[in-house]
Amino acid sequence: MTVFKAFLKVLNKNKSPIILYTVILICFGAFNFQTNDKSISFVADKPDVYIMNNDEEEGITKNLVNYLKDNSNIVELDEERLDDALFYRDVNYIVYIPKNYRNDFLNGKNPTIEVKSTTDAQASFEEMLLERYLKVANTLQGIYQDEEELIREINEVLETETSIELDSKVDVSSLAKATFFYNFLSYSMLAGVIYVICLIISSFNSRNVRKRIIISSMNYKKHNRILLLSNLLFAFTLWLIYVIMSIILCGKVIFTSGGIIYLVNSLLFTIMSVTLALLISTIVNNKDAINGIVNVVALGSSFLCGAFVPVEYLPSFIIKIAHILPSYWFINTNETVKYLEVFNFNSLKPVIINMGMLVFFSILFIILNSIISKRKQIID
Amino acid sequence: MKKIIEVKNLTKAYKKLKAVDDLSLEVYEGEILGLLGPNGSGKSTTINCILSLISFNKGNIKIFGKTIKPDSYDIKKDIGVIFQEVAVFEELTVYENIDYFCGLYIKDKEKRKTYVDDAINLVGLQEFMTFYPKQLSGGLLRRLNIACGIAHKPKLIFLDEPTVAVDPQSRNNILDGIKKLRDNGATIVYTTHYMEEVEILCDRIIILDKGKILANGTSDELKELANIEEKVTVEVENLKESTIEKIKEFKTVDEVEFSNNVLIVTYKKGKNNLVELIDFLKDEKVVYNKIFSERPTLNDVFLELTGKELRD
Repeated sequence: MTVFKAFLKVLNKNKSPIILYTVILICFGAFNFQTNDKSISFVADKPDVYIMNNDEEEGITKNLVNYLKDNSNIVELDEERLDDALFYRDVNYIVYIPKNYRNDFLNGKNPTIEVKSTTDAQASFEEMLLERYLKVANTLQGIYQDEEELIREINEVLETETSIELDSKVDVSSLAKATFFYNFLSYSMLAGVIYVICLIISSFNSRNVRKRIIISSMNYKKHNRILLLSNLLFAFTLWLIYVIMSIILCGKVIFTSGGIIYLVNSLLFTIMSVTLALLISTIVNNKDAINGIVNVVALGSSFLCGAFVPVEYLPSFIIKIAHILPSYWFINTNETVKYLEVFNFNSLKPVIINMGMLVFFSILFIILNSIISKRKQIID
Repeated sequence: MKKIIEVKNLTKAYKKLKAVDDLSLEVYEGEILGLLGPNGSGKSTTINCILSLISFNKGNIKIFGKTIKPDSYDIKKDIGVIFQEVAVFEELTVYENIDYFCGLYIKDKEKRKTYVDDAINLVGLQEFMTFYPKQLSGGLLRRLNIACGIAHKPKLIFLDEPTVAVDPQSRNNILDGIKKLRDNGATIVYTTHYMEEVEILCDRIIILDKGKILANGTSDELKELANIEEKVTVEVENLKESTIEKIKEFKTVDEVEFSNNVLIVTYKKGKNNLVELIDFLKDEKVVYNKIFSERPTLNDVFLELTGKELRD
């Protein structure tokens, strides 16, 4: 208990960075939850269209114009500046209705309607609408001779709607929030664990204090085992606090299959963080250097691996570099879980590989720590 | 007398350099042994070997009659060490630091509390129990360092230059504390560069150099080893070169130095040296203000045995 009590007292003196990193996590998490809603909601939108009608606006021509008006935003433009308007995206689509369109159409001459477009998504949508109208009109023109009856039939076919229901078990909104939270957690956890463990270990490992412990009647190996367990307990408590925070912020989604993967993944990441912190504390004994190391390791890997900026926005060479960092595999799991609907071996294979990589990094850091600490003992 | 430490033929070499060379020594129960030696003489290496902090090439070390090894926890429980560098936690208060280091030896909470209180009283840190090390002066920090090393009431204590960079008041306090520890039955091995501390404190002195023992005995016994008997210092106003030459011709005079109106005459042996010198100066009509005589100091013995050349 003596060692554990001293550990707690040293931890208490170094609690400020933990509070700071937790506050950062809460602030960024809450901010993201407010802004993140926009990305998963749909807003109805219509393309901007200009109609250059060279025919009289009557009969079938008027019906075509009305159809376009109903399904698009009709914009008024200077006829001489139509190309500029397209270039500056003031309009997505321009429809040229030729002279005598009505007569030619009714006489089965199939007149050509010319168009100009910005070739973007809005323009494609408008093209789809126009093609639909023309296909229906051309098909019915051979059947109905009377113009009024033809117009009525065309409109009736075009008004037919099909109801589509999107049936998904995945709560995309909550999972996106949870993903962001857990991605950002990689920074807070790594920074907090490295900072605190390195500070505590450097206190216990300072040359003279260590000498005093070695010559005491307490078994030095036992002393170090207690210290290691205390560090693990601290990291586990921090993880538990972050899990509770995620439940408060993200809600029930944490208790779904995806949520459980977040928990297991973050627990593995926490263990990896402890092993990395122990390795760093073996290499570096200077308390003043720890702050810089935290910034390089935690901040650097968080930027490179997509904790702050989503992976899809990162250049491919950055992502390639990120493969050598544990945070990449942790964040990769979170991103995979966001879109995972079916939980079976095949769908979970990438998740298992990612988690395996975290275990691999933990073992690697333990081995490196053991080798370096033995070399340091010989030097001492 | 009971032997507390028994070192036989200890040799510790770093590649070709022998830091400790076939050294044998004993420390007896209840004594304060002063371990003297210039830098690099092998003092720290000897202590580190005795404490089993480092391995050695040859020899045998027994403490309390048992051979010590790194895992001899039954022996270590009765040993306390105070290092030259302050070895405490910056994050713990004075009380918490002493409690932690005492806790490495004493598990019983109530007993430990009493021991910690005793240690605080011994070094006089009662008013600073809730202070953090950063808030303490150099002297108080040294006292805390000592309290951390002796709180578990060890029977054998190693003190490695505990008074370095300490003001005279704190030094007196520390020396009084060490005497109290000896009076309470502890055996003490004390290393320092301050000769006057050794003279005041130590029952026996060992002078080490190049890993070997040069001298071993009480302060008076060591002074007997010196080739000088007496040193007379005179403040003079008008001293001629011819007078100095005449003094040098005295049969018992070993060395004469004169600078800044101070004449120092060192005698190899002889009695009534001071009276003889005063009479001579009167005859030569030399005006003198102050005159005093002293016996060789431990410092003289130390310099004579280890040489006057500078060490790193």
